[in-house]
Amino acid sequence: MFDIIKALVLGFLFGWALHKAGLTHYARIVNVYRFRDMTVMRFMLTALVVGAIALQLGIELGFAAGAPVPPTSMLANVIGGIVFGVGMATAGYCPGTIVAEAGEGRLDAWIAGFSGLIVGAIVFGLLQPTIMPALAGVGALGRVTFSSLADANPWLVLLVFAQVVALVLILIAPIGRRR
Amino acid sequence: MRIIFIALWIVAVSVAAPPVFAQCTSNASSCVTCHETQGVRPVLQSAQIWHVDHGFGDLCAACHGGDPEAAVQENAHVGLRNPLEDPGVSCAGCHADNTWAFAQRYQEAAAVDVPPPAVLPPPPEAAQTSGTTADRVLAAAAALLTLLLFVAIRRELPTERTSIVAWLRQKSWSPYSAGVLLGLVVAFAEVVCGRPLAASGAFDKLAAYPGQLLFPTSQYYSYVMTPGITWQVWLIVGVLAGAFASSKLSGEARLRWLPDTQWEPRFGSSRRLRLLIAFSGAVLVQIGAGIAGGCTSGLAISGGVALAPAAFLFMAGMFAGGIPTAWLWYRGRD
Repeated sequence: MFDIIKALVLGFLFGWALHKAGLTHYARIVNVYRFRDMTVMRFMLTALVVGAIALQLGIELGFAAGAPVPPTSMLANVIGGIVFGVGMATAGYCPGTIVAEAGEGRLDAWIAGFSGLIVGAIVFGLLQPTIMPALAGVGALGRVTFSSLADANPWLVLLVFAQVVALVLILIAPIGRRR
Repeated sequence: MRIIFIALWIVAVSVAAPPVFAQCTSNASSCVTCHETQGVRPVLQSAQIWHVDHGFGDLCAACHGGDPEAAVQENAHVGLRNPLEDPGVSCAGCHADNTWAFAQRYQEAAAVDVPPPAVLPPPPEAAQTSGTTADRVLAAAAALLTLLLFVAIRRELPTERTSIVAWLRQKSWSPYSAGVLLGLVVAFAEVVCGRPLAASGAFDKLAAYPGQLLFPTSQYYSYVMTPGITWQVWLIVGVLAGAFASSKLSGEARLRWLPDTQWEPRFGSSRRLRLLIAFSGAVLVQIGAGIAGGCTSGLAISGGVALAPAAFLFMAGMFAGGIPTAWLWYRGRD
């Protein structure tokens, strides 16, 4: 029960952040891929750095049971990303923003977005036994992180990561400044 | 930008902190929660071929039996079995056609392979990791980047003050502020709840209801993706409410069919065309998330904060797919 409340509260804040960042707009999402509006990148990269530091602090202070690390399967990650990118640049959606767009009252998200996600999930369920055993094995490293791969201090990796992100943010800062 | 600066400062101060070894995982099943997340006999990073083969999903119970929903060990371990004792039970559920070929391969490997140790080996000494070559390369890169950053960051914008209510009612926030909020939310989900902040997974779980009805013999819906109202489903209910509250407060919540900008000049005002294109895109997005192992939130952001290569490979793929697609839709137009 308490778990459900936590999920609802976190989801609420997630939806709030998505709307306030302006990610409920078709143009915002699509224009990332046209290098015309980098709002999404600013939002995501900031979240990544802040989240990574807060997570590492949590682990350090002993609050975290351990972060959920997704498994790295190089081919599957990249191929999945490509298919995802094609869909995202077509509809201006990703699964999270479809939900946020629905919350904002967009009927295309309610009707086409939700049904598309459900149909997509079923199609994947049918493809999974055929394609995943072949894809998942290529470049499979397991649930690794950059620090576990390099056998380096996670804070050091984090520092480099934060620097790289800051540089990217500075590089993309001029893109899309109110035309 | 100022926030990133502060964040960098925190990192810089903390670089000297001792390294952490408990980088495990967490998934829907209680098997993974105890064994991987809490590190009681973790296996998903082992070299044993059966765990490597099945590590793409939360599949423990399919081979080992037990109750993956139970939170207490006594209940979860009821009906536990040794998978290789009877492959007809353990393997045939998913591999009905070639049960014996698989089982023999594993039995051969088991003869030479060592089972996972009952007690976790002690973590290596902290002193070992502080002086590796990788560390030195990283430190040098960090120092160089800090210098570059310091030069570049000097021309940054000042921010003006507003009241809290006005702030909540703003149509939009700086993406940096919203990003900080999202970052904290992701970290809280992972640190306190041990779960990724994911959206696509919820739809997989919801789609499993019709999926199981439509394809009752599907192994995927019987073992890999069973239907359920999971934590992630409640999360997206929250997302719906949060986006509604935020847009309501800023006066942007209203029913509409078409995107506000850019859509109509390109695609016209047909609702049907919008629904068609939106539907196709949503289908592709969900298939891609299934292949990659998560979506923008569940893989790119949640995996990214854990600094998992998977997240960054996924993002590279997103751009590789998205850039040509956007170009095709908009070629020759402004």
